[in-house]
Amino acid sequence: MSVEVQLTYAMAKELGAQRLEIEGAKTVADVLRLTRARFAETPTRYDELTRVTAVAVNGVLVNYKRGAKTPVRDGDTVAFVKAAAGG
Amino acid sequence: MIKGYAGRVLEVDLGSRTFFFAPLDEEIARLYIGGKGYGTRLLYDRTPAGIDPLGPENLLIFATGPLNGSVAPQSNRFAVICKSPLTGGIGNATCGGSFALGMKKAGIDILIVKSRADRRVRLEIDGDRDVVEFLDADDLWGKGTYATQKLLSRKYQHAVIGPAGENLVLFAGIVSNERIAGRTGVGAVMGSKLLKAVSVRGSRKLDMEDPEKFKAYTKEVRKLFEDHPVLGESMKRFGTGGIVNTTNGRNILPTRNFQKGHFDQAMDISGEFLEDHELKGVKTSCIHCPVTCGRDVEVEGVGVVKGPEYETLALLGSNLEIGDIKKVSEWNYHADDLGMDTISLGATLSFAMELVERGMLDAKLHFGEQAGVTELIQDIGHRRGLGAELADGTKRLAAKYGGSEFAMHVKGLELSAYDPRGSFAQGVEYATTNRGGCHVQGASMYMESVGPLTINPQNLKLKADIPIMQQNIACAINSMVLCIFTTYGMIPKQIHEMNPSSFTYRALAFAFENMPGALLRGAMNFKGKPMLWFEKWLTYITGTTFSSGHLQEIGARIFNLERIYNLREGLTGADDTLPPRILYESTFPGMDSGHPLHLLLPRYYKKRGWSADGVPLRRTLEKLQVRV
Repeated sequence: MSVEVQLTYAMAKELGAQRLEIEGAKTVADVLRLTRARFAETPTRYDELTRVTAVAVNGVLVNYKRGAKTPVRDGDTVAFVKAAAGG
Repeated sequence: MIKGYAGRVLEVDLGSRTFFFAPLDEEIARLYIGGKGYGTRLLYDRTPAGIDPLGPENLLIFATGPLNGSVAPQSNRFAVICKSPLTGGIGNATCGGSFALGMKKAGIDILIVKSRADRRVRLEIDGDRDVVEFLDADDLWGKGTYATQKLLSRKYQHAVIGPAGENLVLFAGIVSNERIAGRTGVGAVMGSKLLKAVSVRGSRKLDMEDPEKFKAYTKEVRKLFEDHPVLGESMKRFGTGGIVNTTNGRNILPTRNFQKGHFDQAMDISGEFLEDHELKGVKTSCIHCPVTCGRDVEVEGVGVVKGPEYETLALLGSNLEIGDIKKVSEWNYHADDLGMDTISLGATLSFAMELVERGMLDAKLHFGEQAGVTELIQDIGHRRGLGAELADGTKRLAAKYGGSEFAMHVKGLELSAYDPRGSFAQGVEYATTNRGGCHVQGASMYMESVGPLTINPQNLKLKADIPIMQQNIACAINSMVLCIFTTYGMIPKQIHEMNPSSFTYRALAFAFENMPGALLRGAMNFKGKPMLWFEKWLTYITGTTFSSGHLQEIGARIFNLERIYNLREGLTGADDTLPPRILYESTFPGMDSGHPLHLLLPRYYKKRGWSADGVPLRRTLEKLQVRV
């Protein structure tokens, strides 16, 4: 059971990886906890970098699902998403 | 004369090499402001139905509005209006750079170019002496937009075409400095008239109703922009490319000709990556704009040039499965120099790649492979070989080779880089926008899928209301003429700083999403005092009160006039659709189908005051004072 975590650019710079593979998560809450654990030396940095980010599972924000209780399945992509404007 | 306008329309006949100045029509200015609105009115009134867009009967109209020539941030834009050779309907595009300022300084609100020159020509317009010179352009013909502008006098502001416009590439644009009026083929119309460049100069100043209030308030707005998370922070640091990782996370980043909404190498073509690795020298802006959304990059063998913005990063990057930002920057340079719209270019290339993948076209062109693309872009701009076929855009390519089910256009205009399967209001906007599949005629996606306070973009709530509200305001903004990015400032900093999982944020989003559509539109349509900066600027400059309600009404008037123009030219409600791939193929796990346009379009028509087949009702036109 593995999900892919797509990080924001700032998070990726901090960890030196664009994506993480997280094993054993059953819900979004698990994914967030296990992602935070990767910031072992700087957990407060994780808090800072995710303060205004939303979380999407396969592109759909968990706000429209069950929030942190949203279940995740093998092969899902969980993304940290910042609000942004383009052109 | 109403304040804010120069008061003059310059009409140039290329065939007879004559010109004259006429007074601005104040009634049209009152009803349509200027820019796109004024130009559409002229095009409708002055051209018969059914003309050839590339024939001498088409008009090429350059139009400014009352905000141009002021120092208001984001106000240095002009609109170009004509019949589109790409769609056969209304053609228009707006452009930054410096040409709008040049026109206003020359004392020209509107420039109408008509008929066709008998040989290659360029225009030099001196507004102080009221002189238009018709100059030979043989020495410039064939030159790129960068070289052309370098060879022209620095005393003038220029709008030029490159080889793509000369060769009638149906998605050719018109360039001012390093910015482009890219969409709907306005550059091909200029090329069809054998007109290479228009240069303007003058020394007039904008006459305002209340310059003191304007000046003091503009100072406040500059401060507000500087502190704003989008206009003062992310746009400034990352340009529009700062949205790549967001659309990728939301599964709406076009990838592999819209087969997917997620690209594994998205981060490598993002605005953040550009800032870290590729940005050279200063970030660039249009005159008087503090946002500086432009980037400079270095292209090997060329030097430092304008870098790619979001649409280019997506359409020439993820949509071709190219994760190399250097290569995308190089292709962006070639497209700019040739004078082509990178959205239509990228979408046409990706369509050709899928044709090849399916064995429907024999060419060495493959997703994820860079080989041959640079040469093909040049061939498109010069209409050589296979490039000559791609120069006609996706719709015509599909008519020849098949594949209409994955030809990603609306009304012939290629879709921009927000996949509507994850952004339903944006899908309605694409389907109904008069010029075709474009995002900057409303930018509904900002309200539902990428902005700071988004609603669920995949249900039906407000998905017919948001596009109407957004299309109306975009029509008004494109008539002032202001940059559409100004609307990103409408959501205050405090909302940007909320945690999306917080109770307050979720309560606000819930209230927004569950607001009755009539209430939302009623609030926007209320004619009160000017509240937002562009409402106040217009009021201080012209002396007439503009509020949200006034602008919604004017925007609706312009939108309906464009609609009437399209109907006159043979488009129908059947053209208000999305590519079959978007309607029937899902990119989201658990979704059986694509965009539910069939459920939303009838609602949209009804709320617009149109018939069930998409024709504006007489009472709608009368209410909006749209004369037909």
